[in-house]
Amino acid sequence: MFSVSKTYPSQITALSDIYIEVTAGEFVFIAGPSGSGKSSLLRILFGAEKPSSGEVIVNGIRLTHPSFKKVYQLRRTMGIVSPDFKLLRDRNVRENIAFALEVTGHPPKKIREKVSETLRQVGLQEREKDSILSLSAGEQQRVAIARALVKESSLILADEPMGILDDEMTGKVMEIFSELHQKGTTIVLATQDGHLIQRHPHRVIPLMAGKRGNAESNEGGRAEE
Amino acid sequence: MISFLGYAMRRTLRNMKGNLFPNLTTIAVIGISLLIFLSFSLIAFNLTSLLKIWEEKFEVIAYLKKGTSLGEVEGLLKQIRQLDGVETVNYISPFDAMTFMESRLGRQKNLLEGVQPAILPASIEIRLKKDYWGQTKIDEVAAHLKRVSQIEEIQYGQEWIETFSVLVHLVRLTQWILGGLLLAAIIFIVSNTLQLTISSRREEIEAMQMVGANPAFIQVPFYLEGLIQGLLGAGMAMGLLFLLYKVVLITITPLMKGWMAGIPILFLPWETITWMLSGGMVLGLFGSFVASMRFLRYGR
Repeated sequence: MFSVSKTYPSQITALSDIYIEVTAGEFVFIAGPSGSGKSSLLRILFGAEKPSSGEVIVNGIRLTHPSFKKVYQLRRTMGIVSPDFKLLRDRNVRENIAFALEVTGHPPKKIREKVSETLRQVGLQEREKDSILSLSAGEQQRVAIARALVKESSLILADEPMGILDDEMTGKVMEIFSELHQKGTTIVLATQDGHLIQRHPHRVIPLMAGKRGNAESNEGGRAEE
Repeated sequence: MISFLGYAMRRTLRNMKGNLFPNLTTIAVIGISLLIFLSFSLIAFNLTSLLKIWEEKFEVIAYLKKGTSLGEVEGLLKQIRQLDGVETVNYISPFDAMTFMESRLGRQKNLLEGVQPAILPASIEIRLKKDYWGQTKIDEVAAHLKRVSQIEEIQYGQEWIETFSVLVHLVRLTQWILGGLLLAAIIFIVSNTLQLTISSRREEIEAMQMVGANPAFIQVPFYLEGLIQGLLGAGMAMGLLFLLYKVVLITITPLMKGWMAGIPILFLPWETITWMLSGGMVLGLFGSFVASMRFLRYGR
């Protein structure tokens, strides 16, 4: 991401002259308080929004003026966890997770196996047939995470994925992310949870009011200058 | 491919069932709009076919002066046959004219009792080649005939046919102007209904976009929805038009007497019906395409 700025039609500037480089296989925290531009940054990274200026290249695809084809091809290579989950209310837990593989044309047998494995990973195997509406917000969050994981993507973009999870589940999800990271998956995780960053020694990119913030010392996280 | 189409059709039908009222409204509005257009088409079609019948029956009648002998008639027929543009000539003697009148009067033929055939003029019916049916050419032929001394009077209904032909053109013009306006209305309506459908399924569309579904995977069910709406709307219009046609046939036919009894009232031919159904589908498809252009985009 080179010199990227994003200004909305309402003249609110979400990002201003941002430069970020994440190498393949890296685990990076995008840290900052609410309104610092974390979500805008991630939305630009997965092609949901176009930058007002600057250049964005993700997985080798230039996203400055993305075409339909480029965006959907890019999203097939990544797992996205958004804060509003984007789950299908008229389908159960298993169907919501399987959906990510169905729309990309995976064979039914592989879908069944992969979904069962992912359900176990996020601890939802007992609730696979339950409706999304019967789940708590935390459980819905885990379904959204499972949907991002099931695709075995090379890149995971997660916007406040632990926002409403309890400590135990937060630890469990972080364990899954760490495992994926060790296997070579690139993880970009936006959070405002300072404790989470402190507990996990990964690179931190601080954001403050849409600009790259200054380095902040923390015990675990390795902040950039 | 087949499994994708099966999936797309299932999703289309589920979308339509889930938004039944807007879908039925759209189909009804398309149907009524197309019915207006088709009504004009049917009127224009019948007027055109009537014009064709008249044109085929079109002939010049030359009434002969009294006292023209049969020998003179022979020479006259020969002379007229040689004129440019003449296809056939037919001599109608006063007796033939009387027989014709009796047949037209039917039961009232006793009105002619006491009338001598000799009071009716002999005539020659002249059929012209199709190329000579225009006003200028027919005037040329008439001018030649007027120079023949045995001919008393020449009659032909060309002016009337031309006036009628202008009327047919006017109906056709109205049909296409109305058609153009209704076409724009149909595209607007289909596109708006589909925008409602798309809005109601925004969650699912966003979820599909999030996991990288192919744009065609997302858009095809909406295109199919527009296509089905167009087809059903056109089908409904065609059905209603047929009912109207039957009603007109039942009520008008008994009132058509005399020369009008011979005028056939026709329904649209199969080719036109097929074109109209296909046209409805294309309109629906175009409406859904307009809606999808605005709402099914990746990225903002």
